[in-house]
Amino acid sequence: MRILWAFIKKEFLQIFRDPSSILIAFILPTLLSLIYMYGINVDSVNINLGLKLDDANPRVVSLARSFSNNQYIRTKVYDDKDAMYSDIVNSKLQGAVIVPNDFTVTLNNGRTAQILVITDGSETNTANYVQSYASGVIYQWLETTGYSKQQVSLIDPQLRIWYNEKLDSHYFILPGSLAVTLSLVGILLTALVVAREWERGTMEALLSTRLSRLHFVAGKYFSYYILGICSLLFNVFLCIAVFDLPFRGSYIILFLVGSLFLLTCMGIGLLVSTIFKNQFLACQISLVMGFLPALLLSGLMFPISSMPAFFRYLTAVLPQRYFVSFIESEFLAGTISDIVLINTVYLSCLCLVLLFLVYKNTLVRLEK
Amino acid sequence: MDTVVINNITKKFEHTTAIDDLTLTIPTGQMTGIVGADAAGKTTLLRIIIGLLCADSGTVTTLGYDPARQKKELIAQIGYMPQKFGLYEDLSVRENLEFYADLKSVDKNFDELLDFTGLRPFQKRLAGNLSGGMKQKVGLACALLGDPKFLVLDEPSVGVDPISRRDLMRLVRATIKEDTTVIWSTAYLDEANSFDNTVVIDKGKVIFHGPPETLAATSADFEREVIRLMGGYEEKESQIAAHYIYRESTVEYPVEALNLLKMYGNFAAVKNNTFHIRKGEIFGLLGPNGAGKSTSFKMMCGLARPTDGTAKIMGVDIRKNPTLARSYLGYMAQKFSLYGNMSVRENLEFFAGIYGIPLAKIKERVGSIASYFGLTVYFDQLSEKLPLGIKQRLSLACALIHNPPILFLDEATSGVDVVTRKEFWCHLRALAKKGVTILITTHFMDEAEYCDNISLFYQGETIAVGTPAALKAQAAAATMEEAFITLINRKDAESGRL
Repeated sequence: MRILWAFIKKEFLQIFRDPSSILIAFILPTLLSLIYMYGINVDSVNINLGLKLDDANPRVVSLARSFSNNQYIRTKVYDDKDAMYSDIVNSKLQGAVIVPNDFTVTLNNGRTAQILVITDGSETNTANYVQSYASGVIYQWLETTGYSKQQVSLIDPQLRIWYNEKLDSHYFILPGSLAVTLSLVGILLTALVVAREWERGTMEALLSTRLSRLHFVAGKYFSYYILGICSLLFNVFLCIAVFDLPFRGSYIILFLVGSLFLLTCMGIGLLVSTIFKNQFLACQISLVMGFLPALLLSGLMFPISSMPAFFRYLTAVLPQRYFVSFIESEFLAGTISDIVLINTVYLSCLCLVLLFLVYKNTLVRLEK
Repeated sequence: MDTVVINNITKKFEHTTAIDDLTLTIPTGQMTGIVGADAAGKTTLLRIIIGLLCADSGTVTTLGYDPARQKKELIAQIGYMPQKFGLYEDLSVRENLEFYADLKSVDKNFDELLDFTGLRPFQKRLAGNLSGGMKQKVGLACALLGDPKFLVLDEPSVGVDPISRRDLMRLVRATIKEDTTVIWSTAYLDEANSFDNTVVIDKGKVIFHGPPETLAATSADFEREVIRLMGGYEEKESQIAAHYIYRESTVEYPVEALNLLKMYGNFAAVKNNTFHIRKGEIFGLLGPNGAGKSTSFKMMCGLARPTDGTAKIMGVDIRKNPTLARSYLGYMAQKFSLYGNMSVRENLEFFAGIYGIPLAKIKERVGSIASYFGLTVYFDQLSEKLPLGIKQRLSLACALIHNPPILFLDEATSGVDVVTRKEFWCHLRALAKKGVTILITTHFMDEAEYCDNISLFYQGETIAVGTPAALKAQAAAATMEEAFITLINRKDAESGRL
């Protein structure tokens, strides 16, 4: 016990003296949260739209006003088609709308009039927004003009959005981003620590003492678990108290599943570090195995159900995937026992497998 | 009873045989020195003895245990100091000691140890902020915790000047009990005579084992005997020098240091350093660690900017035209600055390129220099896989590829075996005879004897300059090592530091 205690004490001294551990555990999450909160907006996009009105009819002017009144659209009216096209080429405009000179005449004759909407297909996502904004504005305008004399619609769908009434994507992205942050803390931070013992030659000294493999693994897990938990609490505090996100679940469940997730990530980090014995390599690998999958394949940004089969199955071994699905429902929908249970079972399995591998790969000599 | 009994052990790594059918016994209660060049197998042998590595074949018994199977029981009785000392740089001296005391489950009364090693004033300092010599002492103190029966020290004196080396030896001698066994590995042959029992290792084999007096009485004789045991060395005419093309110049002093001064904050690393090196002279810079040798060296080649003063290379001011001045230099550093993942040919071609040899002539020059240096057989091997001696030769070839009139060597011979060193010096002397001016730093006192002139450097100042004979006379000493120690102690006494 004295040996384990001394080892843990040493780890904590190192954690406190190494600025990078504080940086990764607290500063980095703050930065990431700020970026997710204020930097990323997946709900709407502001676009610059070019407008060219070939029809001089005053009614068309009200259409132009509808465009400029829209909060997401900045319109610029052009007289010269070539000037407008060249602004599209130079990415000053994301799209353009051209109203032909026979527009009102055709409408007055009761026929279907045409409007040209040009979008920049090199940015597909933005192009979609331009398209839907433009059609939205046009249909709204049409309703007000009295050209359309449609019948009253037979069905009036009543919309109710559950869990996230405001449809604010921050409500799920921020909690989900905990998976990214904790992956970083768990994997990156621990990936460095065993490799560092090898690189600085202290591993050789440790191996020549009574410190056993159990002491070593337990000491590393415990010390960095404590640091990780502090980081987790700090992040939850940021989400709830600072960014004012709704939390409808149970803090105890969050703490328990969070701990499990953290231990799983630390397992990955320690395994990488134990096998490669090189800080640079361990760092690279943990970024590729921790950060990128957490961001891209966890279902946080892109839904897993719409991935190709190969990636869908690949995500099965990613702890982040289970944690993201858990934490989004924990924050927004409250504790749902089925979701908690199934994610806990998967995470526990991964965690134990990793623990076993770490233990097996921790050497008692300088070579196998 | 013997502490260690080794019978016919062999240990192979991926490419090399580190220990080759080695048999050895280490007697209890004595200090045994294991002497050999880098890569001779010293560290592997020590690691096998204490169970950090397992031999491929053969048997080892240490303190009555089998280290391969009973490592846990064995380790409790051993004090081991690995080559990098095993200290946590971000922990203070005291925290390091407490940590290792806990791991060894011994009590934490370090008073005696701290006084003895002179570490008491530095208890609170982080180990990373200590000088090399101090780290060694802390590492030793950690190994000494709990009065181990068997003390294993892996190159405790590497890269350390003769004074610190003597201190450390005295310290170990004074701390151990009568029945404590000590193993001390070293690359310095001149330490061989200070052990009770000396084992000389070469290429994984024991070539001498016994009390050092039985082989030779003095360290100089010991070296000669070891060379004989290694198969002898015959001085041949240096092909390298024979093919060196000397370009005549009228510069009388190709290398000049003029009042060099380097301040780091308020601390003067180098004070007012001035010397002039004649054409064809071998000039040695000697001094304890931290005396300012490396800093002077870096300023001489324009790698560090002098706070004041300057250096002239072939009459060119290094501050005014560093590029031109450096083009006269061939530089060879302590850590071989070769690209390990490039072949011998690629390394040579690269250095030929950066030293400004015209593209069309590179191939021809590389081919010819490789043949003078005997490197043609290794042409397509990766340089990291070469034996140490060949690496060193390749480094010298890279430094000489553009026929420079001046050669700068910064501890170029550390870790190389004695025969290779002899050969290296044979080339250097022959080059000097052809007119190459050589500036060298070294920790080997026997190498200092080969220099034409020596500058003894201490606390940033030159405290003595002259031929080796003159310095020995000045200190009334028989060997260079004694002269070194006497002159530095005298300086200490003058400045009232003792």
